[in-house]
Amino acid sequence: MVDYKPQYYPGGSKIAANRRKYIDPKYTLRKLRTISDDDLVRLMGHRVPGEAYKSVHPPLEELGEPACPIRELVEPTPGAKAGDRIRYIQFTDSVYFAPLTPYMRAWMGHMRYRGVDIGVLSGRVPLEARERDLEKVAKDLVETEIFDPARVGIRGATVHGHALRLDENGLMFDALRRFQYDKNKGEVVYVKDQVGVPLDRPIYVGKPIPEEELRRITSQFRVDGEPFRNDAELIQFVQRIHMLRTEAGFDPNKVKDI
Amino acid sequence: MSEEKKMFLEALRRKFKESPEEKQTKFYIYDGWKQSKRKREFVEAAQKIAKERTVPFYNPDLHLGGIPLGQRVLMPYRLSGTDIYCEGDDLHFINNAAMQQMWHDIRRTVIVGLDAAHTVLQKRLGKEVTPETVNHYLEVLNHALPGAAVVQEHMVETHPGLVSDSYVKVFTGDDELADEIDDRFLIDINKEFPAEHAAQLKAAIGKRIYQVCRMPTLVAMTCDGGTMSRWAAMQISMSMINAYKLMAGEAAVGEFAFAAKHAEVIEMGTLMPWRRARGPNEPGGIPLGYMADICQASRVKPDDPVWVALESISMAAVLYDQFWFGSYMSGGVGFTQYATCTYTDNILDDFCYYGAEYVKKKYGGFAKAKPSWDVINDVATEVTLYGLEQYERYPALMETHFGGSQRAAVVAAGAGVSVSLVTGHSTAGINGWYLSQLLHKEEMGRLGFYGYDCQDQCGSANSFSWRSDEGLPFNLRGVNYPNYALNVGHQSAYCGIVSAAHGGRGDAWTTNPLIKVAFADKDLKFDFTHPRLCFGKGALREFMPAGERDLIIPSH
Repeated sequence: MVDYKPQYYPGGSKIAANRRKYIDPKYTLRKLRTISDDDLVRLMGHRVPGEAYKSVHPPLEELGEPACPIRELVEPTPGAKAGDRIRYIQFTDSVYFAPLTPYMRAWMGHMRYRGVDIGVLSGRVPLEARERDLEKVAKDLVETEIFDPARVGIRGATVHGHALRLDENGLMFDALRRFQYDKNKGEVVYVKDQVGVPLDRPIYVGKPIPEEELRRITSQFRVDGEPFRNDAELIQFVQRIHMLRTEAGFDPNKVKDI
Repeated sequence: MSEEKKMFLEALRRKFKESPEEKQTKFYIYDGWKQSKRKREFVEAAQKIAKERTVPFYNPDLHLGGIPLGQRVLMPYRLSGTDIYCEGDDLHFINNAAMQQMWHDIRRTVIVGLDAAHTVLQKRLGKEVTPETVNHYLEVLNHALPGAAVVQEHMVETHPGLVSDSYVKVFTGDDELADEIDDRFLIDINKEFPAEHAAQLKAAIGKRIYQVCRMPTLVAMTCDGGTMSRWAAMQISMSMINAYKLMAGEAAVGEFAFAAKHAEVIEMGTLMPWRRARGPNEPGGIPLGYMADICQASRVKPDDPVWVALESISMAAVLYDQFWFGSYMSGGVGFTQYATCTYTDNILDDFCYYGAEYVKKKYGGFAKAKPSWDVINDVATEVTLYGLEQYERYPALMETHFGGSQRAAVVAAGAGVSVSLVTGHSTAGINGWYLSQLLHKEEMGRLGFYGYDCQDQCGSANSFSWRSDEGLPFNLRGVNYPNYALNVGHQSAYCGIVSAAHGGRGDAWTTNPLIKVAFADKDLKFDFTHPRLCFGKGALREFMPAGERDLIIPSH
């Protein structure tokens, strides 16, 4: 088999470089904060901290699986082995220099984690996985540089806000007001879990990342940041993909020199 | 486009208190639904009704377990191309009589050629057909079509006051024949169309003569689309018997019925396949090109194909997105919020006129460049980048189109319409749409919702395909085309892409000259020359529809 070196993402801009960095699983995401395991469980709201994982089938060892070459090739995740439920965490990323965009969040997740099912919409990105696997992934997603407490929201429902202006404290709009800005501490604090159920005690998720830093680490092109228009390599790449798809759809035999 | 010329700024200033460039605002201070006059009206009405019917009713405080709508500004909307502002609720088709009438006027229209019947009369039955007999027949059919008897004794009939919008007219490309037709029955191509368009249309139609039958709106409201041609065919056959003194039931009469039901009939919409089962004359079967032709804006401003395309886009948004996808296919009420993006606040207008100026300057006018990768890439990329940059320069604009699918539709519509204008080719235009979607996805790192993205990421591959199992000439596609069957938010722009291609070329019609002429009719309730203005009147409750039942219900 020929050696394959993943290229991850085209483009000559700083934004394209950031995109490559986040997608590349060899790059270690910088840890910016610590959220306790129990607080993360509370934020997601699927189980009470300390409660056993609910299962949807017996552990695979007990279940006895059929002879299957795919099963032999693919090692089940811990959650799959145990028979955990599939649960979710969902994020909303503001258009105002949030570190990730929805597609980045999906591509990054697929390259870095096993056993995840990620959807992409303009205003939210659900990530589903076996519950104990999910908690491990969620830890990365909330504690590292890809989470800005002000411009990224943990929102299971009523996600409205990614395209709205920011509030007077620089926070993204949230109709359910799951998070607030604590002026005394200068930190963002969650008072409701991701579907809006009030928490028994608030969970602090840290200070908003400063604007300058956000602009440095973001993977979003913006005309008031780094404009897409300036990345000629990326634009030409997209145009070429479009041309090849079009011509191949018309007649695959006409497509040459790929 | 210079700052002061940006067409959407006035609406943005009216929608929000802050400057459109301001990135921060206040939320949670607007008193929820109470900030909206319309929702206050809804609550008052619902409370009264709930008391009368004793079953609980509309209560916006149930929203999100007690967190009502209106945590942010519930912004008003400007009907693009007009000075009319309204609330979003006024653009739901249930709340807008003009939208309902537009659909009813389309659905209740059936075109039936008269030439086959005349041939039967002359060659098979030896009857004389003259302008006088045609005029007499039309008078009889105008009596019968709304639901009156012409042959049999002791028949029940419909109250004229309930079916006053039902009538038949004719048109022909033959000026001499047209001169002989009673003016009351004639759609006069020479009078209704600019001279250049009239000449094109008459050349296409030739000496043939067509009836345009309008069934009563009440029938359109209470029966299905398939009823329309059957209703028309029955009354046409009976009127033939009456007008030409035929035996009721002789074999030749079957020919009239066959002609009116099959051989000479043009339905507005074709049958749907079983998985989306509907009869003819339902929104799902109306091709994009028919919608573009039903819109009559080209008669008003033939030299402004951008305006014409925008008017047709508004009609397609209402019919395809709000009626078809929003109700027939999905149920629920959510699609209106989404679909209005293409015809409110002059946003798409700004993007399209920007594209028009760009192609005029760079390519010397409309339909001046042959479709090529260079042209498609250049125009679609430029207009896409322009549109995306406007959202980023004006946070109020981004907030107005707060859903990614809205932005994706409007930006790609601007790109597609502009490519259509420069090439005069709708297939190039739709290809420009798909390039725009791919660029948009990479620029913003986001696009629309799952279904939106699915179809737009495989759309490049079917945009040039005309094989019958994979595609159609673009004008003949519609919501029934497989890849578009779940494609909410797209068809409005697709209609504009068709319109702009032909408008750019100076064509009198896009797909079917008969459809174009059939709707050049001042007696229709809906004004197809100014659909956006008409929707605005509906929003302001100034539009009077047909199909009212006051005559047969208690006074109220």
